[in-house]
Amino acid sequence: MPLAGLDGALFAAAIWGLAAAALFPAIPLPSRFAFLSAASRAAIARPVAIAGALALAAVGALGLAGVVPAPLRWWPGLPGDPFMLGVDALAAPFLLLLGLLTAISLAARHPGPEEGPAGLVLHIGFAVALAAVFAAQHALLLLVAWEGMTLLSAALVARDTRSARARRAAYVYLVISHIGAAAIGFGLMRLAALAGSFGFPDLAAALGRLPAGESAALVSLMSAGFAVKLGLAPLHVWLPLAHPEAPAPVSALLSGAMVKAGLYGLLRFGWQMPGSPPAGWGVTLAVIGLFTALVGALYAVVESDAKRLLAFSTVKNAGLLALALGIAATLLRAGYVPLAGVALAACLYHAVGHGLAKGLAFLAVGEAVHAAGSRDLEKLGGLARRMPRLSVAALIASLSLSGLPPLACFAGEWLLFQALILGLAAGGGSMRLLAPFSGAGLALATALSAAALVKLYGIAFLGRPRSAAAANAKPPPRAMEVWLLVLAGLGLAWGLAAPLAIAALALPISAVLGPGFDAASLSGFGGLTLSIPPEAFASISPLAVATLIALFVGLVFAWVALRGLHPGVRRAPSWACGVSLDARMQYSALGFTKPLRLIFRPLIRAESEISILEEGSPYFAQKYRYRSAVPPLAESLVFSPMVQAVFWISTQARRLQAGSLHVYLAYLLVTLVALLMLAR
Amino acid sequence: MSLALALLQAALLVALAPLFSGTIAAIKARLQMRRGAPVWQRYADLARLFRKESILSTDASWLARATPYVVLGASLTVATWVPVLFASSATSFAGDLVMTVALLALVRVLHALAALEAGTTFGGMAASRHMALAALAEPALMLSVFTLAIAAGSTDLARISRAVAAAPHGWLSPSHLLALSAMWLVVISESGRVPVDNPATHLELTMIHEGMVLDYSGRHLALLEWAATVRQMVLFTLVVNLFLPWGIALEPSGAALGTALLAWIGKLLACAIVVALGESLTAKLRLFRVPEFLGMAFLLSLLALTSNSLLRG
Repeated sequence: MPLAGLDGALFAAAIWGLAAAALFPAIPLPSRFAFLSAASRAAIARPVAIAGALALAAVGALGLAGVVPAPLRWWPGLPGDPFMLGVDALAAPFLLLLGLLTAISLAARHPGPEEGPAGLVLHIGFAVALAAVFAAQHALLLLVAWEGMTLLSAALVARDTRSARARRAAYVYLVISHIGAAAIGFGLMRLAALAGSFGFPDLAAALGRLPAGESAALVSLMSAGFAVKLGLAPLHVWLPLAHPEAPAPVSALLSGAMVKAGLYGLLRFGWQMPGSPPAGWGVTLAVIGLFTALVGALYAVVESDAKRLLAFSTVKNAGLLALALGIAATLLRAGYVPLAGVALAACLYHAVGHGLAKGLAFLAVGEAVHAAGSRDLEKLGGLARRMPRLSVAALIASLSLSGLPPLACFAGEWLLFQALILGLAAGGGSMRLLAPFSGAGLALATALSAAALVKLYGIAFLGRPRSAAAANAKPPPRAMEVWLLVLAGLGLAWGLAAPLAIAALALPISAVLGPGFDAASLSGFGGLTLSIPPEAFASISPLAVATLIALFVGLVFAWVALRGLHPGVRRAPSWACGVSLDARMQYSALGFTKPLRLIFRPLIRAESEISILEEGSPYFAQKYRYRSAVPPLAESLVFSPMVQAVFWISTQARRLQAGSLHVYLAYLLVTLVALLMLAR
Repeated sequence: MSLALALLQAALLVALAPLFSGTIAAIKARLQMRRGAPVWQRYADLARLFRKESILSTDASWLARATPYVVLGASLTVATWVPVLFASSATSFAGDLVMTVALLALVRVLHALAALEAGTTFGGMAASRHMALAALAEPALMLSVFTLAIAAGSTDLARISRAVAAAPHGWLSPSHLLALSAMWLVVISESGRVPVDNPATHLELTMIHEGMVLDYSGRHLALLEWAATVRQMVLFTLVVNLFLPWGIALEPSGAALGTALLAWIGKLLACAIVVALGESLTAKLRLFRVPEFLGMAFLLSLLALTSNSLLRG
């Protein structure tokens, strides 16, 4: 075919281009290149990296079309197989998403004058590590890339080293990530030892030779490790700490792409293995996913920090992905292959759709809060009038993340609802309990996210500015706004062309699910409608809905304009019952979610307290103080006991260290005797 | 033919929506021994608003101008595939029951955002309550959707209508009646009626819908109010034609459509009487008692779904 060779060259260009761009500003150059200042080297590296990222996206798109480039190999000097990077059907959608997000996050980056090349180097390096995670076809390389991804992103989280909050976030992130990485590393190394090779097919074969119990235990262990990266509750605590601390373009990559590495791992090592997914894997994942979705949505609602709110929304969507995956595995084990395909299509479609929407949200909101000087919603407001183009991008992101049609996150939820209804109708054991609660819980989580995002957009972008900095916020450079609108357009296209997008995911879906289901059958009328195959159980068409809405808007607009009675709009100050309006009369972010905070108080244990500082007359005190807090329950209920247990064990262990030479000599003697007895 | 019918049904919904709203108000007035406004009062209100100047807050952004049009556009889009007279629509390929629920959520989100535009307290209060109560209504609504979809074997609106109409005593099953009661409570809440919201009040402590449109005037307000009546009409039509599709036309013959028109008007009149009676006999609930009301809807819908799977064996 004419493309032969080109795809391989594109893939090599993508990987080497990105890697070279990451290294170029960082490596010391010989003195005759001294004319290349750090700034000019960064100025060269950025376009190269953008080109590499776009090539990566192209490789991903080709991979979805079934074009598999020749893998890149090199021998690192270790025993065993050479390192291998390649693109297969499962990696393709993740590489497509990563390429697009990397290109736009790099293009939309506009560092302050004081920033050295380190930020750019880490940013590109992080993207390289992520690309290597998705493209690795060698267990050791996967672990190295995984570790690189964690370390580089932790460095980006802790970029602002003066901030104690950022340092703590990076610390918690590193510790929890390494617990996950240990589980993954143990599983992969155990398999590699059994297989005598690091290649993925050999690992799968080795797993297939293990007794069922041990293979299930290994798969579950690795799945737990990947679940940490996906941010499933209660191991999600690092996510809302770490994601908001990084600069906005990096947060976009963290939430948009890195979280999906957990999903990728679950698909590849939890499911796509012989005998997998093990019994109970699907149900467990679905239950944890549902719980995570509710936790994420609920905490997003009560959060007043714009970027943390988005991070909690990522937790909600990670839960949704795990729920879809768990439902798919449950349906597969019950023997409903096409229904499992529908749920899996929901999962993969939503992974990309959420990646695009959340990347856009972090870029747009991050830029807005940067311009307004605070991430605290209580200090924002009125930004839409000050930066109208940016507000369009932020609105599209907020509406998408609320799961509204016809945008990027709707069709995935629709498919999942269909899979739940059909799974329940088909009967079948665990679905009878799982489906109703998943349906109701998903509806609640989606409605709560909508409330959270209305709060985010409504409080930050609408109304009056709540601080002088917000009132004086200046729009970002035009080029950046254009890039954000490009990303918004990609997200819109993903939503409107949902049937085509799902048909394009047919290869990865059958790579995971095996034969018996073709995702292209979900798309009807040349990609206009999305329908469930057995005699069209139901069908939707995001494109037709958008067209109808646009048509009716046009008709109503024309009708109003033609009647011409009062076409104009007069502007007047808002009516505030006769007094002059003050920004503090508006609902605050805290006030906005007070009903939900009160309704869910038994679950989230929100605290609030009013104290009177200065007494006036009995009914009108002069000064109040109001304090409100939502305690991080996952930390106090799950992690504090664990930390305390570690401290307790170490305190006990300290007794061994008596500080006396005789005791240490005795230890040596006992150890020696024990070893001699064991070795015989 | 089928497209013409879809447009006719949508036109009927849109044209008669203010009448339905006015009828409820008129019946309510009679029950309260008042003469009340005539049933076509809503048309006069809309006509007057369309003639008036539209004033927007100096703090409002571009979204405040776009919202009335998009809200009405989305409501009209839903109206094209709701089975009014004929259980089939040319646009039913575009939207099913889940899409309907989601488009109503889109309308809700836009409403809430527009309410925050003017930077006043009332808008924020109403938007906050609206989003909170909707979050609680959504699970009950979704479980009712599940019950209907499983019984009918589809989430397509026309198919549900046909399936229920085809089974002569199908609507008498416990799961169907339980889902109907759950759906009724959700519709009462979603269309902003007593005991969740009071459409007749401007008292700031109680209002939800009125608070959200408080800063709109002129044609923008007219569009929003019209869209609200259309939405109310769509919700009640869904209740009567999905749960109790008596008389709905199964093929597009003149006689069948005529019967369907009479049946539809009769059923909606019955709904209007029940709503008016309910509004006259009950008081509005305190805001923090509404979660119990919606919790009841959730429980009913869960019972509906459970009895469905139990009785099917």
